Amino acid sequence: MRLQPRQQLLELWEAAARTSYRDGVWTWGGRDGSNSISDAEQLLCFMYPASELPGFRLDTPNETGDDVLAALTVLGDSVEIPKLLLKVIGQYLRTYTAEDGRPIFSGGSYFRTQEDDAKVTPEQLQLDVVDSFSMSVTLALGTLGFLKVFRQSVRRQSIRTEIRELEDLAGKRLSAAMAGLLRSFTVNAFDPASPAGRALLRTVNQTGAPTRRVLDDLRRELRPVRAGLRDLTIGSGSQADLDNENLLFECGWTWGIVKDAPAVATPLDIGPQPEGVAADTPFLYFTVNALVGIADLFSPRTRVLSLLNDDQITLAEAIQRRWDLTQLYWRTIATYGRGTWPLEDIPWRTVDEKESDYYSLGVTAMVVQSLVNNRSADVDLDRVGAVLEELAIRARIIRRAVPGDPPVLMHSPGVPVNLHGSDMLGPHLLWMVSDFAITLLKRTIWAASIAQNTRMRERLLTLADQIWRHILQRRHTAGPAAGLWDQPGNVFTDIPVRDEEPSWYFSERVAEFLVAAATASGEPPLRSPQLVELAYQMLGEAEHLLDQEMVTRPLVAGQTIQPKLRTIQSALQRARTIISDRPATAQALINDALLDLERLAAARDSASEAI
Amino acid sequence: MLVFAISDKGGTGRSVTGTNIAYRHALQGNDVCYLDFDFGSPTAGAIFSVGSVARGTRESGLHEYLRGDCPQPRRVDVWAESDREGLRTRPPGAGRLVLLPGSEGGGELSALSEEVVGRCVQLFGRLEEEFDLCMVDVSAGRSFTAELVLAATVRMPAVPFRWLVFHRWTRQHIIAADGLVTGTDGLFDVGTRFGHDPEVLRDRIRFVRTAVLEPDAAELVGLRDEQRAWLSACDSELRELAGRHGVGRTTMLGKVPLDPVLQWREQLITDEDVLASKIANVETAAAFDDLAKKIVDDNAWEGL
Repeated sequence: MRLQPRQQLLELWEAAARTSYRDGVWTWGGRDGSNSISDAEQLLCFMYPASELPGFRLDTPNETGDDVLAALTVLGDSVEIPKLLLKVIGQYLRTYTAEDGRPIFSGGSYFRTQEDDAKVTPEQLQLDVVDSFSMSVTLALGTLGFLKVFRQSVRRQSIRTEIRELEDLAGKRLSAAMAGLLRSFTVNAFDPASPAGRALLRTVNQTGAPTRRVLDDLRRELRPVRAGLRDLTIGSGSQADLDNENLLFECGWTWGIVKDAPAVATPLDIGPQPEGVAADTPFLYFTVNALVGIADLFSPRTRVLSLLNDDQITLAEAIQRRWDLTQLYWRTIATYGRGTWPLEDIPWRTVDEKESDYYSLGVTAMVVQSLVNNRSADVDLDRVGAVLEELAIRARIIRRAVPGDPPVLMHSPGVPVNLHGSDMLGPHLLWMVSDFAITLLKRTIWAASIAQNTRMRERLLTLADQIWRHILQRRHTAGPAAGLWDQPGNVFTDIPVRDEEPSWYFSERVAEFLVAAATASGEPPLRSPQLVELAYQMLGEAEHLLDQEMVTRPLVAGQTIQPKLRTIQSALQRARTIISDRPATAQALINDALLDLERLAAARDSASEAI
Repeated sequence: MLVFAISDKGGTGRSVTGTNIAYRHALQGNDVCYLDFDFGSPTAGAIFSVGSVARGTRESGLHEYLRGDCPQPRRVDVWAESDREGLRTRPPGAGRLVLLPGSEGGGELSALSEEVVGRCVQLFGRLEEEFDLCMVDVSAGRSFTAELVLAATVRMPAVPFRWLVFHRWTRQHIIAADGLVTGTDGLFDVGTRFGHDPEVLRDRIRFVRTAVLEPDAAELVGLRDEQRAWLSACDSELRELAGRHGVGRTTMLGKVPLDPVLQWREQLITDEDVLASKIANVETAAAFDDLAKKIVDDNAWEGL
């Protein structure tokens, strides 16, 4: 396998450090300028691996690895690096706090307009975006964990004061991001006879069953989700008419704070809660994005380091319920029915009757996440694996593109998402989404990490390897962004190769993927019960033969056979120790021992052949 | 600036590292003097290759001066009196390099009297005015000499001083180095007793690792893979241990790699040794050079 997560992560760090820290000054903003999301992504390129992987920790200067320091040498030595991180995290947290103390989650320079000549108004630039909530949750948790551990190595009063201030700021940003996530959740209920209802029914009905039956069945399947959604209290999404059993619905996150969303009542200090304008319907892209960030809220690390206070835990629980329900909803829809899954019917069709491979990817992403959480059976995984493969082919990731191939547009400039509701404050805004390849890769490696059967895992890893090769080619090779992403022109001839600043949007996602890959390779190897059983049987034979050898051999002083037997003995002992974790390795040891024993026996046999 | 070199145990390479740092600091254009306070075995002369004071001086050594037997201790100009060809001419741009040898057959200090401390203060005061750096080789472990300089420095609040604690990169040395600084009758303990502010004192103590065998060093090329795997596991264990004992990277000023030349003979490593005869490693000279710079660089002493 060509994927070497540690090596690649170090290369990414080296490039990111070189690009971010020029002539002793930290430079914010990449290709799309500086905004609350891009800057968080830039910081996360460092903070995410540092907080998720033990080998990449920067919070304990005494134990930082030498290769890690070598990669980050631009930023300074093991003492200067955490100090610099403190400084830039402080810059970030203070820049994105308004004068009234409200943390800012604006999309800023990431907003595009539908018409080329239209200009984004200043009010629009200030609009909060779910992407920013999600990134901020991850960044704030990473920061809090970093500060908590780093504090133990610090004695200097000035640094300690700064750490305390940053803890307050990061905690506040985390609370505000959670409140934002609660106010951008949405449930969209509609009549089965409406266009949306008909579209949903068409999607789920893959077998051509009578609509009446499908509708009844779907209602029954979705009953737990409906019941859960009806019980939601704080935040948005609780106003939808779910008591009317006749209506169908979908749930998830819209692109920003929902129009007229009620304020979240919390004792936490999060400043004034801004008004929202976003349309009250779920967007697949933002739903997937929210789910990724939210997962960090209840990760083992968050719990172990107890990064949340009691009031934050209340918010986190409210979010977690939405997380569970959303996953359950989309998994139910995507894998509905006994025949072909709706998910397998690529491209996915949304209820507003739009079709794109990108939507299929979004739904697949949620299904994989749900499979990971439920440790699902390989049967389901097998079908999801086929969908992932198909998407990789259709998106021209593991197939070459011909000139003018439409899927290429999905990678650059990306899939435009209409931010409905943004036109209240100016021209209609767009959100460009160009993370298809890396999102697909991340889900593939996730799926591989839960595969229980060797053939299945092998297939998914091969796919991951192919996608990784594609992504690696899209790395900038020259210019200010050398070593970072994204240069699709290297792969697709339709797109000109441009020499420009890095896309932190893409690079951060690559870092996230590499962390996932490194975590997966740290787990013990797959082992089948048959292999363990066989190893035990071999061990039995070897030990028996060894015992025989010990009995038959007369012990003579100065005989050289004894050390040989001792070697065999210790090899077998070692084999017994590791047999349940690494049965194949144990077998190799046993094989060696058996061979040695056989040579002794054969020698004896030849001696007794004499007449 | 006064710099005191101390080590947790004997045989650490304190003297040879200290002299090399002094030598490099002089090469960098500063006036440097080296005081051999290792009264039990004053061998700094041998390292500087000054034959006449190889094992201390017969008259006017530091010992006699502190006892009050002579008005001024003897000074040896290394650039003029060294027996080594490479040291005999002062390189262009280099500062003075003066050795104050101990007395031959002097023996360790046996007690600390008011007069001795007074003479020590006078000596430090005079040298501090005259030189940019005074490197004082205090002997290994807890000693009256260490107490003497702690007592002297507390009376000279205007004179900046720093401590270098040399230790080797092994389990026992790490624990011992920590003990020497924070243990009973360690530097903090004694220093506080004499009136030093422990917090200030802590900021003025840094560790230097000597004879370090890096897992990726050239010397290890001949090792078997198993040995290398074991070594690298040991190294990370030591790192963790050092962090726990406050001897970790945050309190380390630098490290000196293991060098064959220093293993076999205690001597100054000159640029000729590295570039012309190539008997010494480039990394070793670079490490001394780096330490000689960091010793006066406030950023390197700032810490966390």
